[in-house]
Amino acid sequence: MLILIINQVPILLYNLQHIIESVAISLPDRVAFSCLKKVITYQELDHQANQLAHFLLNNGHSKGDRIGIFMPRCLESVIAVYGILKSGAAYVPLDPFAPTHRTAAIMEDCNIKTLVTIPNLKNRTEGVLKETSQVQLIIGPETISNGTSIAWETIHEENYSKPLLEILESDLAFILYTSGSTGAPKGIMHTHYSALSLAKIVADTFDFHEDDIFGNPAPLHFDPSTFGYFVAPLVRAKTVIIPEAYLKMPASLSVLIAQEKISVWYSVPLMLIQLLKSNTLTKHDFSHLRWIFFAGEVFTPKHLKALMETLPQARYCNLYGPAELILCTYYPLEEIPEAHINIPIGKTWANTEFKILNSQGEEVAHGEEGELAIRSATLMQGYWNNPEMTKKCFYQVNIAQGYQHTYYKTGDLVKLNESNELLFLGRNDRQIKLRGYRVELDEVENILSQHPLVEEAAVIALKDTEETQKLQASILLKHGKSLQVDALQEFCSQFLPSYALPESITIMKDFPRTSSGKIDRRQIANLIDQPQT
Amino acid sequence: MKDKISNYIIHHIAKQKIDTIHADDDLLADGLIDSLGMMKLVAFVEKEAQIKIPPEDLTLENFMTIDHILEYLANQSTT
Repeated sequence: MLILIINQVPILLYNLQHIIESVAISLPDRVAFSCLKKVITYQELDHQANQLAHFLLNNGHSKGDRIGIFMPRCLESVIAVYGILKSGAAYVPLDPFAPTHRTAAIMEDCNIKTLVTIPNLKNRTEGVLKETSQVQLIIGPETISNGTSIAWETIHEENYSKPLLEILESDLAFILYTSGSTGAPKGIMHTHYSALSLAKIVADTFDFHEDDIFGNPAPLHFDPSTFGYFVAPLVRAKTVIIPEAYLKMPASLSVLIAQEKISVWYSVPLMLIQLLKSNTLTKHDFSHLRWIFFAGEVFTPKHLKALMETLPQARYCNLYGPAELILCTYYPLEEIPEAHINIPIGKTWANTEFKILNSQGEEVAHGEEGELAIRSATLMQGYWNNPEMTKKCFYQVNIAQGYQHTYYKTGDLVKLNESNELLFLGRNDRQIKLRGYRVELDEVENILSQHPLVEEAAVIALKDTEETQKLQASILLKHGKSLQVDALQEFCSQFLPSYALPESITIMKDFPRTSSGKIDRRQIANLIDQPQT
Repeated sequence: MKDKISNYIIHHIAKQKIDTIHADDDLLADGLIDSLGMMKLVAFVEKEAQIKIPPEDLTLENFMTIDHILEYLANQSTT
């Protein structure tokens, strides 16, 4: 059911902005989002988003355009998200801390002409503009040295009524860029329908209500932010945006979660482990915290057990889903897990079904291992400007001529346990997770190989601490050339986000190879892992 | 100690190429150092000052700037 009845007035729910428009009517003064001392109510958010939409529409933008959001975790990001959606454009979150080369490449890939940012990021914005010439307008800073800019104050002078524009649920809502194995990031396209379906399913699956306070530690370019930005408003709750600095200082984050009375938390397991290890979870009042969700990586059962024992009043749930589906399975923990079990990724939820396929694309027998393929209302439209890659990742079941069921092949190897719950077993390719972020090892190798003095590169993930991995790169230089490792590291940092940078680079004389001449990466791992005695 | 910390930040953990860092520059807010870098900085300070920093002291108040770190270390040696 996609209609909310509020005060006997049916409110439509066909696109993402309908979510906040409905609360702005029923509970206008309710706080929608906060970030430290800054707060915005549903009505203020609705009005300010309308103003941004009017400005965009009056300045040559039309439905289907892509507009960049170049912001850290801040309150303005919410106005940007909803304002862009209300203009009919799709927003593209750009990590302000990513290398400027990468940001410029993304902007060129999806042809971004307008960038929405904040005055604090003026210098960084100017840095990005040096790398690309197609951007025509910057919204945020009063002035910018190498482009045209419009201050937020000017936007706030626009008409705050709802723009008269019909946004369909099949219209594009946002594009999330993620690591691509070729070396270029790929853009995952979500429509209003897929994102709204996610919010609906999550709200229907869990007992969230309007007194909940969602903690949102995820940056906008990372898909868990959909919880704070869309699920929380759908249940008319408040979202607390956690500023960057708190995520680096777990003891302060712990205080913030308690002070803000956060009741729903969703992050990667590593963040929860850092909170646990800060020894502060018994020192503050976490009685409001009733749901803890985690996804993105396997939560070491030992640490999950310790967390559940430290905060026993909360309920815990493992979520799973590649950004192409945002999320698709869930596993609520009914009891504290044994220290060595593989915590299931659970069952698919509403409006979602799955198949487990062998390498020939046939369904495996019950209990056998195979690749997980998912069909769901939350499925992406495809990869931006890349029909080939889109076709490759979909698994089509022909029902009749011209009618197919489309599944997304996740690349994740799974099997069903006795309780028909999915167990995650690993990857069937070279994609790994580093601190919750997707990294394609092939992408890192491609970037290294692009250095003019590098002949060949091999990148492997090694265990770092108990719960983290690190990247180890081995390279062969071109014949007779020499190169400082520092210079190569700096080269990589121009193209790769910081979490995907190799922790160490070793220059080798030759690679161990298999009989067919391929680089034997397992052998490299053995060579490096050997204890240095 | 101040120079050692700023050199370490500039040469080992800064995410952008920088020539100098001021003692009152915000280390946490603007993406100069990521969370992994922050953990490395803490380990470096522990090694240089020959102390063990308890995890509950990893707060904004203690690590916001180099000045804050120095003040924190000064307090440790007096207590």
